Amino acid sequence: MSAYAPAGLERTEMARPKTIVEACRILAQAVRAKKTASLLAGGTDVIVDRHLMPVAKAHAIDLIVDVTGVEELVRISERDVGGERHLVFGGGVTYWQLRTDARVTGTIPMLDAMAKDVGAVQIQTRGTLAGNIATASPAADGVPALMALDGKVTLVKDGGARTVPLDQFFLAYRKTVLAPDELIAEIAVRVPKDGARVRWRKVGTRLAQAISKVALASVVEEEGGVITRARFGMASVAAVPHPLAGVRALVEGKSTKSLDRAAIDAAIDREIKPIDDVRSTGPYRLHVAKALVWRALAP
Amino acid sequence: MTTNGTGSREKTVGTNVSRVDGRAKVTGKAAYVDDLATPGALFGATVRSDVARGTLRGIVKDPAFDWTGITVVTAADIPGDNVVALIEDDQPLLAKDAIRHVYEPVALVACADPVRLQKAVAAISLDVEKLPPVLSIEDAEAKTQIIHGTDNVQKRYVIEHELGGKTIDELIAACDVVLTGRYAVHHQEQMYIEPQGMIAHWEEEGGPTPGVHVTGSLQCPFYVHKAMKRAFGLEGDKVHIGQAVTGGGFGGKEEYPSIVAAHAALLSKVAGKPVRMIYGRKEDIEATTKRHPARVEITTGCTKTGELVALKIECAMDGGAYVTLTPVVLSRGILHAAGAYKWKHARVHGWAVATNTPPNGAFRGFGAPQTIWAIERHMDRLAEKLGREPLALRQQNVLGIGSVTVTGQTLTESVGVVECIEKATKASDYFVKRAHYNEPSPPHARTRRGIGAAVFMHGAGFTGSGERRLKGKVQVDLEQGGVLRVRSASTDIGQGTETIFRQIAADAAELPFDSIVVETPNTSNVPDSGPTVASRTVMVVGSIVGKAAKQVADRVRGTGAGDFAKLADALLAKEKTVSALVEYEPPLKIQFNDETYRGDAYPCYAWACDIAEVEVDLDTFETKVLGFWAAQDIGKAIHPLMCAGQVEGGTLQAIGWALYENVVWKDGHIMNPRMTNYVIPTSKDAPPFTTFLVEHPFSGGPSGAKGVGELPMDGGAPAIAAAVEQAIRAKCNDLPLLPEDLFRAVRAAREGARS
Amino acid sequence: MIRFKVNGAARETDAPPLARLLDVLRVPLGLTGTKEGCGEGECGACSVLLDGVPVNSCLVAVGQCEGRDIVTVEGLAHGEELTPLQRAFVEDGGAQCGICTPGMLVAAEALLRRNTRPTDDDIRDAIAGNLCRCTGYQRIVDSIQAAAAAVRAKGSRA
Repeated sequence: MSAYAPAGLERTEMARPKTIVEACRILAQAVRAKKTASLLAGGTDVIVDRHLMPVAKAHAIDLIVDVTGVEELVRISERDVGGERHLVFGGGVTYWQLRTDARVTGTIPMLDAMAKDVGAVQIQTRGTLAGNIATASPAADGVPALMALDGKVTLVKDGGARTVPLDQFFLAYRKTVLAPDELIAEIAVRVPKDGARVRWRKVGTRLAQAISKVALASVVEEEGGVITRARFGMASVAAVPHPLAGVRALVEGKSTKSLDRAAIDAAIDREIKPIDDVRSTGPYRLHVAKALVWRALAP
Repeated sequence: MTTNGTGSREKTVGTNVSRVDGRAKVTGKAAYVDDLATPGALFGATVRSDVARGTLRGIVKDPAFDWTGITVVTAADIPGDNVVALIEDDQPLLAKDAIRHVYEPVALVACADPVRLQKAVAAISLDVEKLPPVLSIEDAEAKTQIIHGTDNVQKRYVIEHELGGKTIDELIAACDVVLTGRYAVHHQEQMYIEPQGMIAHWEEEGGPTPGVHVTGSLQCPFYVHKAMKRAFGLEGDKVHIGQAVTGGGFGGKEEYPSIVAAHAALLSKVAGKPVRMIYGRKEDIEATTKRHPARVEITTGCTKTGELVALKIECAMDGGAYVTLTPVVLSRGILHAAGAYKWKHARVHGWAVATNTPPNGAFRGFGAPQTIWAIERHMDRLAEKLGREPLALRQQNVLGIGSVTVTGQTLTESVGVVECIEKATKASDYFVKRAHYNEPSPPHARTRRGIGAAVFMHGAGFTGSGERRLKGKVQVDLEQGGVLRVRSASTDIGQGTETIFRQIAADAAELPFDSIVVETPNTSNVPDSGPTVASRTVMVVGSIVGKAAKQVADRVRGTGAGDFAKLADALLAKEKTVSALVEYEPPLKIQFNDETYRGDAYPCYAWACDIAEVEVDLDTFETKVLGFWAAQDIGKAIHPLMCAGQVEGGTLQAIGWALYENVVWKDGHIMNPRMTNYVIPTSKDAPPFTTFLVEHPFSGGPSGAKGVGELPMDGGAPAIAAAVEQAIRAKCNDLPLLPEDLFRAVRAAREGARS
Repeated sequence: MIRFKVNGAARETDAPPLARLLDVLRVPLGLTGTKEGCGEGECGACSVLLDGVPVNSCLVAVGQCEGRDIVTVEGLAHGEELTPLQRAFVEDGGAQCGICTPGMLVAAEALLRRNTRPTDDDIRDAIAGNLCRCTGYQRIVDSIQAAAAAVRAKGSRA
């Protein structure tokens, strides 16, 4: 409409730190000064939400901390943790990086497949992993994929840091353990063993620019036909991205050939209660969730 | 400027000259309404009802809000009649007493600062006493609440064909095979990528062009002109309606722009400044028109060998809260309801009801996609019952030269449907695939394919006597250097009118393409050629563009021999203005009785066969369209590339309607008024298209051309449904075919098989 | 004051840092070739190149653009000479109503800069964030293929 910020953000200041330490200090100061502050990366949530928000609900934000200038946050590296190979993503790593970084596409093609399903190129170039995690949308695409890869997030603040497994990060609908003075510095994921079944399947409203109706990321490792490790991350079936721990408990230690589909379906019935909304229906979601889990387990 | 390599006199009709507005559009220079700079202008916004039905008791401005510099207008400020002049006068520009749908405009606000404007809108509350709303066709038919006339019916039509003193039920009962079916379709949003918008300002008496000036995104400048005259009590010469480059319309910018224009002009009049009324996406989806939902019941009788005999159709459409264009949509709907087939006896009965939802309106196809959906589904049901291949059953019964339609029209020319079927089936390998996909699939297959066909036609131009009443006109002026300026009210909304009119005029006048210019429509400098609707632009207006251009060129050439430009300049030196004004005259043989609905419903029809091939995931019920073959007889492709673009774009809208698009309603509110959840197909969802332009010329069209605009919208959904049904082995009688719907259909089919 | 480069020229704005890049381009800078279709990153009509990368300018806060390089549809052509993509969209049916065309060209430009031999699927992936309601996409895909062929023939960049 015109050269104006979205309502409630007309007078918001913007800080543009260059380092994580600087960003943390800015957040700490804001918290001490009782200012409302918000991190900004790709803007795929913050800018849209504020732009579409009714004026009456658009409370002011005092400070936006733009982290797109922090180079440490866009790094992708490798790390050995307890003898297991991990990829470590800075919080600002974009989906486009996942699609184009040879270490990622060569090591965990599932992340490439997932990233390709996020919006479309213009969203992939802006959207970040930390943004996807912090927003805590139950329909997030990145979170289930990272969850299935045993993702752990490192939260840092001025003078401190802690590491939280992703499946303990979300507390309730759009609520997380992230404190106002913390930021997501990195996400570490375990590289599945060679030969593992590492799969991604998103059922969205269309093939691009889609929010998922159900999505499932899965890692299934086997030794001698027996499932030694099963990890899941499912989107859009609960208030938070869901690890399907009940299914995992049921299938680990079992042989792939002797899996009991009825028992797995029953476990899914216990774990998730998907709802009706403008995108889909609860019964359809439940049906698809079961089908996707079964496909994930299939040889 | 010769950019097209068409400075020669070679004929351009039938060739792909480069589109004349192309350069402006690829360089970002094309100015759409929101791109027009208006120094000192205010932004306008609309205060809308959030209840579906009620009595407006008051409009309350929050006294705590600072109203300085803010203009607020209500119905009381309208200088003329508070109506949106169209067919009936039942829709107010701003609600005064009664609220008849959610999103109904009640007050208007203008302010120089868009953020304060939003806050001002939020500071106005409406005091409405709620009444029980009517929200569906069934609600309206129940007549528990009467919201229109005495029975909620906005319009009713009946077509009766060769009943011979019997009832249609008797004629059907006498047939070997009788089949009844019920088919339904849902709303569809036009979703042009450029939202609606208008900019208005007033020029004082004494100025060069006194009166109100409105420029914006529109299809039909003279519809807006008519509405503005009534709203402001002005003579026509005080109302100047111009078109900005328009970012798609598809019918959505046929009637609604009158409201946006009048609102902007009203605010501008009261505020004394130019006003920009540009809708955001949410407002556009919520408030503007959509395709009419419909419910169609069909009963047919035929012989054991599949010869169609008798047809009975009962078609109900949801007109929404006001009549707007509903009678015309309903009319076109019932005139296409019998499909492309021969019936010995028929009775088609259609009615539209009022509901407390935003008025439904024009959308490409205009009633026909709704009824063609039904008859094409029914043909597939009939094929099943008879154990016939569905396309073969259609071929057996399809209309041809000499056939008589259900209005009693004998088809005498330009029926290319057989060739369409041949081309589409051959290219898609339809019959082989259809048989193959009927084979049982392996037990663990997680996907299955299907292929389906639809055969259909679309009447070109206005229905019946419409063109005779309308008397569309085109003017061509001679200009310096032997240039011809075409003045018509037909807008280019992306379909290529400007380019095509230049082709037609150049060929008719035997002049180079670059010697023709086309005036951008403004009601003050073009004659009323009629609206840009009804697949009439090329066939009807195009034909008089050619005539007028030829008349002017003939006058120039009549003055002597030699260089055209020199002759033209010499003539202009003598006569100041040299021009031709030509009025459209429908072919005399075309006669239609608007009372009995008997006769020639359309001067001619465009014909088509669509074939869709799909793959459905049997777990998730997502449908992937693998390929789409469209063979469409449009008489003559003036510009084949643009025609193919029309066919493919229209078809994708039909595919979207079938597989993705769905307006979600709750208590009269739209729950998904965003592009993120009203889902139209992306490039990844769209299939590769194979398009055949079939040319069986119509003697009344320029070079034989018929309409191409709407036809492609008619067949996509039924072709997709036929393919999907084959893949999932379950029936789809209602749109949409979202995965959730297919999931339910398959469950129902399984439970039906079990019981 | 926020400073950045637009279409090769240094520009600046005093807009608030949370103003959308889209609004700053369209209003104070007058670059109205970049369109708004939805305001939520869905339609892609507002696509621009930010340091060579396609983004939706409705999702970018102008404060994030300090020191960065922005290319809009107005900056694609070399003077009066259209790029192969622009020519192809005119000649091969890629543009109809034209409202999605600027964003579509920007997305396609980014594709051809990284891949002059795209498959149809590559193209459909590259423009999946640009909604078009007119064409059915087939002629857009064809236009981009034609432009890619022209680029290859010329041995130059898009």
